Amino acid sequence: MLETPALLAHSADLELVIRHVLAGLGHGIHAGRERGAGVEFSEYRAYAPGDEWRRVDWKLLARADRYYVREAERDSHVATWLVLDATASMAEPSRRVDGLSKHWYARTALACVAAIAQRQGDAFGLLVVSNGKVEFTPASRGPRHLQRVLAALQRATPSGVLPDAETLRASLHFARSQSMLFAATDALDWPSPLGEALVRLRHMRHDVRLLALRTEAEAEADFATGHAYRDPEAGAGLHSFTRADRDAYSAALESHFAAVRTACRQHDVPLCEARIEQPLGEILRKWLRNPEARRP
Amino acid sequence: MTSMQPLWWFALPVLLLPVWWHMRKRERTRTDLLATARFLPAAAPQQQRVLRWTDVLLLLVRLALLATLIAWLAVVAMPWKGDTVFIDPSLETSPWAAQQVQSAGMGAAAREPLPADLWNWLARNEHEWRPGARFLILAPGAAMPALPPRLAHATDLRLAPPPAAASEPPAATRMQPRERHIVVSAPAERLPRWQALFTAFGTAADGANRYVLSDTPTAVTELIVWDHADTDPPASWKAPLWWRTTNTNGQTQTPQGLTWTAPQWPVQDVDAARALYERWQAAIAPAPAYPMRAQALKAERSHPLPTPLARSPEWLALALLALFVIERILTHARRR
Repeated sequence: MLETPALLAHSADLELVIRHVLAGLGHGIHAGRERGAGVEFSEYRAYAPGDEWRRVDWKLLARADRYYVREAERDSHVATWLVLDATASMAEPSRRVDGLSKHWYARTALACVAAIAQRQGDAFGLLVVSNGKVEFTPASRGPRHLQRVLAALQRATPSGVLPDAETLRASLHFARSQSMLFAATDALDWPSPLGEALVRLRHMRHDVRLLALRTEAEAEADFATGHAYRDPEAGAGLHSFTRADRDAYSAALESHFAAVRTACRQHDVPLCEARIEQPLGEILRKWLRNPEARRP
Repeated sequence: MTSMQPLWWFALPVLLLPVWWHMRKRERTRTDLLATARFLPAAAPQQQRVLRWTDVLLLLVRLALLATLIAWLAVVAMPWKGDTVFIDPSLETSPWAAQQVQSAGMGAAAREPLPADLWNWLARNEHEWRPGARFLILAPGAAMPALPPRLAHATDLRLAPPPAAASEPPAATRMQPRERHIVVSAPAERLPRWQALFTAFGTAADGANRYVLSDTPTAVTELIVWDHADTDPPASWKAPLWWRTTNTNGQTQTPQGLTWTAPQWPVQDVDAARALYERWQAAIAPAPAYPMRAQALKAERSHPLPTPLARSPEWLALALLALFVIERILTHARRR
């Protein structure tokens, strides 16, 4: 049905997209330390919309004529943090596929991660970095929190520039216990306050995973010549693009991403590079795969 | 070409507005947002100010529309008429008129029927005549205006001599008597006396009027005689003049019309009847105009005075409407 990012991008319903992507992904992406819900029974709770049907106690329904949900005594030690780079450069559209942009791709990938975390019973929180500010959604569990995070993701619009190092440092105080950090960005600002913050978190022994997004047009230097181009984050300066500039552009871009790769390897941050025209499921699987398993 | 409202020409700078709208400063380079623009070589901004006219046809139509509007408001006139004889229709065929035209040397001049309000009409329409044109006015009589006419053209007013009595046709065939509608409501014993009174009135003024008596008023009723001292007339009856019987002599204005009252209607003796008739005729007939002598008026000024009474010709208004329609159509077509 929704096979390509092109078709997915036309669906406004983030939840539908998540369901579709995760259906193709299967389970067992991340081995949660806890089993599924309901291992150690603790209490009954009234059913609320969004609860899974399999957790409804049907015998109790037959007795009491009300829906009750079995709550389990469980506490995951892993908190998942989602970091969305929503600066102006993330609005870069795919010049091949209508309606698809880096922002859409990053947002959807993070929503999928949030949904996976919710299914596994992990706590998850969200940071939206946009317009020089950090919008912070504290970590929590449960389907309602997933809705809250999805709403925050829907609300985010790409604008402005990254916040400075001070603001980021003040906002990243959360990571006390061991946590996983999923950051989706275009990595065009590097070194950047965001990159430094991620590296610092990595040194605090958090599991930081970076997703660097590019468009195919960018990677192949394949956009219209003869136009003047403006950097959405740099102000009024104009840049020209002609056929002669193509090689220089490719070389500059390649060296930039080589530097990003080197920095990530140096600090042991797994970097997942993706083009937004690639299928989201594949990229998600690559992003979430345990990096230790890949190592020789 | 003259203009009757020359101040409107100061509105001409309005024509600059469409010129300004249609002038576009074109930017030569289009700019696009690109996230990786920082890896491209910097370029100097290449924006040229190239004047370009957009929709030239629409611009021309708009200019024409505005210019026509201003010309219409300024009452532009092209004086094209020459010497003209204004002649009363009753004198068209008279030998006297032909002789006057010949003696004035205006045998080749155009002829126009004499307008009703002569001097005002001339002041209003004078701008249609060329500066040197002369007017010859042939009329049986002319009313003196309050101020002597001061026109921009030499005007010769000649009055026809009064027709000789002998050549006058008999009164009976000359004109039909005019019908005057009277309503008389009176007791049966006084009704014949009222009829006799109005018959006597009918013989006055050489039989120019014929009095028609009836019972109920119509729209043309001029006079209602209400000869009942004790009752009031129906409220729906209306006439310009009422004669009513009451116990006082006098004149009152009522919603139904002006009312003359007297204790004793109808009048009994001849002198009273004559006095009543003359009073009545004086009340309804307009005062005769003071006659103007035949005279030649010099041109008092070189150009006709601008007058707010002057009106632009109709074809200019039609052209304005047509231009407006064309402008709307073109604008709509451009938007599609």
